[in-house]
Amino acid sequence: MAASKFKEMFLTEAAEHLQKMVDILVQLDSDPEDREGIDALFREAHSIKGMAATMEHHQMAKLAHHLEDRLDDCRQLGRISGVEIDRLLDAADVLELLLDDIRNEQPERSVESFIATLPKTIEAEVDTGEGEKSVDLAVNGCGQLIELRLRETVAAPEARFLVLLKRLADFGTILESTPSADDLMQGGCSNQLLVRLDSDMAQDEIHRELLKYTELQEVSFPDNAEKEKAKRPEKGTKDKTVRVSTELLDHFINLTGELITNRNQLQNILKERNWKELEDGIGQLARLVKNLHHQVLQVRMVSLEGLAGRLSRTVHDLSRRHGKEIIFQVDGADIELDRAIVEELTAPLVHMVRNAVDHGIEQSGTISVKAWRERAQVLVQVADDGRGMDAEKIRQQALEKGLLNAVQAKTIRDYDLFQLICQPGFSTATGMGETSGRGVGMDVVKTAVEQVGGILLIDSIPGEGTKITLKLPLSLAIIRVLIVECDGTRMAMPITRVVQSVEIAPDEVQSSGKQLMVHYQDEMLPMLSLRKILKLPQGAPLDPIPLVITELMGRKVGLVVDRLVGQREVFVQRLPAPFDQIRGCSGGTILGDGEIVFLLDLQSLFERRREK
Amino acid sequence: MSKRVLIVDDALFMRTMLRDIFVEAGWQIVAEAENGEQAITEYHTHLPDLVSMDIVMPGLGGIDALKKILNNDPDARIVVCSALGQKNLILEAINAGAKDFIVKPFQSAQVLEVVERLIAK
Repeated sequence: MAASKFKEMFLTEAAEHLQKMVDILVQLDSDPEDREGIDALFREAHSIKGMAATMEHHQMAKLAHHLEDRLDDCRQLGRISGVEIDRLLDAADVLELLLDDIRNEQPERSVESFIATLPKTIEAEVDTGEGEKSVDLAVNGCGQLIELRLRETVAAPEARFLVLLKRLADFGTILESTPSADDLMQGGCSNQLLVRLDSDMAQDEIHRELLKYTELQEVSFPDNAEKEKAKRPEKGTKDKTVRVSTELLDHFINLTGELITNRNQLQNILKERNWKELEDGIGQLARLVKNLHHQVLQVRMVSLEGLAGRLSRTVHDLSRRHGKEIIFQVDGADIELDRAIVEELTAPLVHMVRNAVDHGIEQSGTISVKAWRERAQVLVQVADDGRGMDAEKIRQQALEKGLLNAVQAKTIRDYDLFQLICQPGFSTATGMGETSGRGVGMDVVKTAVEQVGGILLIDSIPGEGTKITLKLPLSLAIIRVLIVECDGTRMAMPITRVVQSVEIAPDEVQSSGKQLMVHYQDEMLPMLSLRKILKLPQGAPLDPIPLVITELMGRKVGLVVDRLVGQREVFVQRLPAPFDQIRGCSGGTILGDGEIVFLLDLQSLFERRREK
Repeated sequence: MSKRVLIVDDALFMRTMLRDIFVEAGWQIVAEAENGEQAITEYHTHLPDLVSMDIVMPGLGGIDALKKILNNDPDARIVVCSALGQKNLILEAINAGAKDFIVKPFQSAQVLEVVERLIAK
């Protein structure tokens, strides 16, 4: 039986990982600052957690997860204390006992009381005899920023800063400084110093101590507002945290330092009215902002690994329930996407995988989830080698539902036909799952994908399987848009929604009844006027006609606009209530010249039309 | 009780100046030294609260002297004195454990600020 096969595999592998953990712990005892060792330890705990969770051994998963958290803290510290090693060895013993329980088919013992015996945070515990750092490093606080500025008349500013750094080190631990002590030793520095200090001392106490140095012109604590905010989390924001590597934080502090230098430079230029330098200063600022933007995006990125685990679990559970033998493959789980997108897509992807198990695979087969990057997009594909979708049956259903007329039903391409399963009316049809080979809820999936600015593509060959591909933007907040103009107003469309923008000559327009059509590649696309859709007055005839090829309701269309302005990278802001209720507009952005431009959401506009 | 200082400088003129500044502020001068070797001996004899140490001196220089003093007494509070333009020497001294520095030519208020701040710690 499959379950027992899994059980054996799990027991063997978990025992191996556990053994490795113990080995590494013992090694670390003699070299507590071996980063690679700590990393490896973390990976072992991570593996155990993942396996245990998949097998629904909740106590084991819980303990492994707890260890993972502790080890992550050790990673941040860059060392592991002897006390902590002992604790982890104890934990390994408990894991061993849990494995015994599982092996003997007994209920797992509770780990709650064991976890309770461990201190919550890991301090930089100093083992006796080392006495080097006696300050506790509270891991959860990432220190406070202190910005120091020297008077211009101070002699040997590097030496002064070095003295100040040493003084600050008396108050706590210096996590970072720009410039660093080494930089100062090399000589050459500006008149400010940015320090991230981890200290138990109250800020005003530190401030008071620093005020004793009359060499200082200014002492400020830049991130205070942020810290205060963090202390009082608003309701519902609790889960919205991202784990950020210290390396990224390093980049941030360096950038902050450089921005401060830049600010001073610009202030100086202003003071001395030295306009020749201005261009340099602004150029520098542009570079720094671009860099900062890039880094901030990085912070928001998470990999698909967590999601992949969730999916593999779904496949595992479902296949067991239905007695199907399914191989689940994941490729590209290391691809990173904006956290918000990953969160939005978790449910839809689970749904797609569920559909593949329920309706795609008949008895046995393979389901694969693949993710890869194509320029500024991420593609996620769920594929199965099951029965595929039956185009004929979908055609019939569509006719019955009145989604297609007889002529359309004959001429529609399979690709467009498949898109119909994402229609709300279509997917709720009874027995749809059984007849077409695809289940319910695809409308929900498609809506979710479009909400994050993506596109959903369906490919299916009867007897060979179905592939559903999501084309997603990398980030929600900052996206590339195509700016178009219509009746003197500029509007933006997410580039992910645009197939192509072209200009055609008026004589390329053909008509089919009342509908104007255009030949695009080897298809005839209906032409829609953006002016008409937005109920703007009809404009003067255009030559050439600017056309945005986009997808609407699963069909490619040519959207006529007054002018194609160009592509921009913009920061999209959600509209505040009640404006967020406006159909057809999914947000706004401010262009470089100060103009506010709204983001067009044609899909929802069309849905409104149909509802009427 | 008044604070006790050891003044180390090879120039009599500088020693006199420093002495006046310290005495006026109520300090007790435990000894004066004109080179590194003397400074080390005087330090261990008197264990003063503070040392004002010139960096460039014939024989054993200030930096080597302060390293040796700190070797035996890691808590020693040593302020180095140096002429303007000897930035690298000052940096080296601080790196070696000097608690602060004074740049010549100095004014009484400056010197006192540095040393009082150090003693108040």
